[in-house]
Amino acid sequence: MSAPLLNVESLCVEFGPKSAPIRVINSVNLRVDAGEAVGIVGESGSGKSITSLSILRLVPEPPSRIASGRIEFEGRDLLAMPKSQLRHMRGRDIAMIFQEPMSSLNPVMTVEAQIGEAIMLHQRLGRAERRARVIELLRLVGIPDPESRLKAYPHQFSGGMRQRVMIAIAVACNPKLLIADEPTTALDVTIQAQVLDLMKDVRRKLNTAILLISHDLGVIAEVCERVLVMYAGHVVEDADIRSLFENPQHPYTRGLLRAVPSLTDEHPRLYQIPGSVPQAGSIRQGCPFYARCDLRQDICARAMPAMSTHGARHVAACWATQSMPEVRSA
Amino acid sequence: MARYIFVRVLDSIPTILLVLTLVFLAMRILPGDPAIAVLGENAQPETIARFREQFGLNDPLWLQYLHFLGDVFTFDFGNSLVKSAPVSTLIANNLPYTIELTIAAMLIGITFGIPMGVMAAVKRNKLPDNAFRVFSLVGYAVPDFYLGAVLLLTFSLGLGWFPINGVGTDFVSRMHHIALPALTLAMLKMAFIGRLTRTSLLEVLGRDYVRTARAKGASERRVVYRHGLRNALLPLSTGLGLSILSTLSGSVAVELVFNRPGIGRLLIEAITERDYPVIQAGVVVFALVVVIVNLLMDLVYVAVDPRIRVQ
Ligand SMILES: Nc1ncnc2c1ncn2[C@@H]1O[C@H](COP(=O)(O)OP(=O)(O)OP(=O)(O)O)[C@@H](O)[C@H]1O
Ligand code: SF4
Ligand SMILES: [Mg+2]
Repeated sequence: MSAPLLNVESLCVEFGPKSAPIRVINSVNLRVDAGEAVGIVGESGSGKSITSLSILRLVPEPPSRIASGRIEFEGRDLLAMPKSQLRHMRGRDIAMIFQEPMSSLNPVMTVEAQIGEAIMLHQRLGRAERRARVIELLRLVGIPDPESRLKAYPHQFSGGMRQRVMIAIAVACNPKLLIADEPTTALDVTIQAQVLDLMKDVRRKLNTAILLISHDLGVIAEVCERVLVMYAGHVVEDADIRSLFENPQHPYTRGLLRAVPSLTDEHPRLYQIPGSVPQAGSIRQGCPFYARCDLRQDICARAMPAMSTHGARHVAACWATQSMPEVRSA
Repeated sequence: MARYIFVRVLDSIPTILLVLTLVFLAMRILPGDPAIAVLGENAQPETIARFREQFGLNDPLWLQYLHFLGDVFTFDFGNSLVKSAPVSTLIANNLPYTIELTIAAMLIGITFGIPMGVMAAVKRNKLPDNAFRVFSLVGYAVPDFYLGAVLLLTFSLGLGWFPINGVGTDFVSRMHHIALPALTLAMLKMAFIGRLTRTSLLEVLGRDYVRTARAKGASERRVVYRHGLRNALLPLSTGLGLSILSTLSGSVAVELVFNRPGIGRLLIEAITERDYPVIQAGVVVFALVVVIVNLLMDLVYVAVDPRIRVQ
């Protein structure tokens, strides 16, 4: 197996005081290879954003902190790195797009200044070259007549256009990994499709690996080859998209897929699983899905199930469906 | 932009008229005959009659009002009853000193207040923040006249480092004279501006676009100054306006303590001497300054915030 681009191992993130921490991310393992597109799916509050923010150490600190784990990018340990050094990787090697296009751009800076800043922070370019590059990027993300929009401010753009500008900022330095946290959730459906197409387009042109976060499995199926299912701060299943749709192992994943008959369905939506996501940190032992699971057994309440394999690249953490105890090969 | 400024200036005309009308009404309609108020209960009837004649108090109210407006727009407020000089001359002689004092105090307040607020916000709940909290409490709690007196006693009378009163002649001696009065006024400004900076910067640093800036790889310094402070300036500009206006009241105490000429002192003297035309002119000047400062702050707002500029 090739060396991973991004390798997250046993990541734990806590909130609140150190004396009484609330653990919101629990031993998350995540791997993205160069050029690969991986999705994370899960209900609201399952820890998708905190996981993705942790990679660039952007979790708000305080109140939260990365308690333990390893995050390696091209073999370099991001958690051990001084912040000053990590800063040079932000935007250059790993870039991020956020959910809220309306508030993620600085309201008092022009679009040119904001995209130009992303270039300027990592590349030595003259003013004229930088402007040419900004125009090129705006064209890449499909903003019509980019020359005339350079001096425009974010409030003069629609939500979809702002998300395009965010993507232009993110790809300004040809990052090796693009993390997109619900990039289309705030947009209406037609614009959603356009932005997803743009991301696929960018990936094809720049060969960027993508980590796409969404609560919509349909969105992920459209872009990604592999998907992680998160529940209450745990990764409960990790599989190739096709394998996940055809052979879901975790009862939670099956719940998610219940309303989704096949991959060809346009936009499979989250099936409403009875009950609600447990309060962060409320589960001290056993399986986090216990309260809502219709396959639960005695052991589920006592011990957290380990990951077991269900195919070439398919693991799930469930006592009921596990075939054999597994040692996950990295 | 030019259009907006024009509209905004036009907009302030009704405000100015309203303020002038209120001043006029306050002086004429409120109980008490101005003639008696100025000349005293025991004045001779002829004196009162002459006074009423001289100031047109026998005219119908609307005519008095028109005269009053005419006087204001020609800056003709008549003569002082006590000092043998036209009121406009008195104002013209004193206003520059108050403006000078305000500018000096604002410069000190901004130069030290903003960095203190930034430090406090960035080092939130750490030593710099706590130190600043104590400082601003003191700044708020100590009254101008008391602080002025302490500074005067210590540094002028005690140590002899600064002149005791007056304003000085050449630039260096003017600065020397203005240092302590300006510092007195600036303490409150530093506390006020610093607190405002801290609050609005903290609010702004939690915004999504600040996270975007960090994700781009911007240094913490750049995040704070380029993205944070620039946005925090929006609420700050209103606060700066308020701070300028508070100088007007502060200048009264400071000009008295340091025995400096100025509009605050002129007005206090006029009130104790019942110098009716000077009081009226002083109130009009204060009111106009309030309107003008508000207008300027609006324009600063427009310069900083593109969302207002375009509409
Ligand atoms: N500021 C905070 N203080 C305390 N807990 C927090 C805070 N922010 C997030 N959390 C907790 O962290 C957990 C994970 O949140 P996260 O934002 O990663 O969820 P998410 O999967 O991205 O959800 P969504 O789909 O709503 O974006 C949640 O259970 C939430 O309660
Ligand atoms: S481990 Fe038990 S409770 Fe958890 S999902 Fe599997 S069957 Fe359900
Ligand atoms: Mg989220």
